[in-house]
Amino acid sequence: MRTQWRIGLAALAMLAGAALAATRLTPFSSGSVAVPASEDERRVWSQAEQLNELIARGNVIYTDPTLTAYVQGVIDRLYPEFKGTIRITLLKAPDLNAFAVPDGHIYVNIGLLARFQNEAQLATVMAHEGIHFTNRHGTLSQKSLKDNAALATFGSMLGIPILPQLVAVSSMFGFSRELETEADQAGFQRLTQAGYDVREAPRVFEHLAREVKAEDIKEPYFFATHPKLQDRVDNMTRLSSQSVGGGDGTSRADYARAVQHARLDNFENMLSMGRAKQALIMLEDAGHVSELPAHAPYYLGEAYRLRGNQGDLDRAEAAYRRAIEAAAEFPPSHRALGLVLLKTERPIDAAASFERYLALAPDAADRKYVESYLRIARKKGGTP
Amino acid sequence: MNRLILALIGILLAGCAPQPARVDTPRTEALDKTYSIDLPSAWIRQYTDERNILASRDGFLLEAIAVTRHPMKQAFPHTKKAATEAMLPSELAELEIAELKARDELAAALTVLENEPALLSGKEGFRLKVGYNNPRGLEINEIIYGVVDSAAIYRVAYRAPRLYYFERYYPDFQKTVESFALSSAR
Repeated sequence: MRTQWRIGLAALAMLAGAALAATRLTPFSSGSVAVPASEDERRVWSQAEQLNELIARGNVIYTDPTLTAYVQGVIDRLYPEFKGTIRITLLKAPDLNAFAVPDGHIYVNIGLLARFQNEAQLATVMAHEGIHFTNRHGTLSQKSLKDNAALATFGSMLGIPILPQLVAVSSMFGFSRELETEADQAGFQRLTQAGYDVREAPRVFEHLAREVKAEDIKEPYFFATHPKLQDRVDNMTRLSSQSVGGGDGTSRADYARAVQHARLDNFENMLSMGRAKQALIMLEDAGHVSELPAHAPYYLGEAYRLRGNQGDLDRAEAAYRRAIEAAAEFPPSHRALGLVLLKTERPIDAAASFERYLALAPDAADRKYVESYLRIARKKGGTP
Repeated sequence: MNRLILALIGILLAGCAPQPARVDTPRTEALDKTYSIDLPSAWIRQYTDERNILASRDGFLLEAIAVTRHPMKQAFPHTKKAATEAMLPSELAELEIAELKARDELAAALTVLENEPALLSGKEGFRLKVGYNNPRGLEINEIIYGVVDSAAIYRVAYRAPRLYYFERYYPDFQKTVESFALSSAR
């Protein structure tokens, strides 16, 4: 009985999807005409506003006016007729994710910015998300009714934060296979028109496919939707091979300068969340590390220490030592090395590292911890 | 039919655990008898299972004290990582922060306000204070004391809205923390 009921629901969903797919909406031609045209669309925009408010209240926005302006500049270059209508907001989240909501807000995780290698790759995602807005995919999506109830439940939860992940919230504006394919294809056209090097487009998906394959990493929503990621890699490869090529936005150095702070903040964030494996995907990439400040091996050491596989403590120690060699004045490397030395019964060296840390960072927030470890190290080492 | 049986089993099992009750005795012991603690007088006490106790004055969604015992080899639910006895207090705190951040997207954006070594039941552990916003934008503060022994990680935590409630009941929480005793330490 229950199976029949499920089959019935599935059939209804397919019919509803087919009906919606058949009902195409005219894409917005510019920002000045981008307003809801029906009661349904007003309702969808209202949901978008609720989501925007939820995000604004949640202390999840990454506040970096320069970087925000940079990403805004990319979307404005792709969609000049929507300047002022499509608005970029950066989120602190370390996941590979970006999503558009129906009223023109596009949210971009710093985790996504941190992973890309150049502006053309970022533009690929921005072009894709922009199409979701201009082509009114939010209104076309049949998910909105169902998820209205889901959104309403968040407001009723006070106190203990037991809400579903915001990633799940954003998925209310997730789209069908057909609409995602449209966003890929029309986004690619935008990329070409804006003069970006379209050969970078498939590299975005290839890079992310590698990441998704890594153990324990959930496929982020942006890439988890239909069609399958490999299909999208193939599609982008086909499109780029058909194009003339050329274009700009390929400078790794320029991009690295723009996102450097976000990359470091993203490592701090990832590691504080215990996501060592994700961090290692970037930190074991010599090309990526070469674009980071000299103390970057410190983050590599932290990632090894937190991963905790066989031999990782030795790897961590080696990385901390490299960080100290390259940037001796960066305090955390000394503290981290001291902890490894203390745990591996080298208390005299550990004490020296802790002393160096406290000398470099006398007002460190973790001073009490380090002082207590210094006492242990001195006691074990037989020094006063 | 199966659902009915499960529901009946659930009701029967629920009957085995004490119901929420007003704290009227100074000392509360975990059902597994691994620790005991003085909960604030007149608060409501709820055993969530044999290892964990919740207490609240005005409602569990408003302010709450949670006392938990997490077995050593059992991974935490969100990060899937487990504590070890060899962990230094700052590493335990680090693990706790990761677990909090993995709880949901709002907690992921939490701010660590204080993080320092602390004694719990006479053992060296950590004291962590964090702040984050709930879905309504209300600022929540949370303090967690944690300590580990050969069998488990023990935590005594207090959570309340930063405005008004947190400071109001913080002294009660501090007395509760000071009263925490592992059974072997008594």
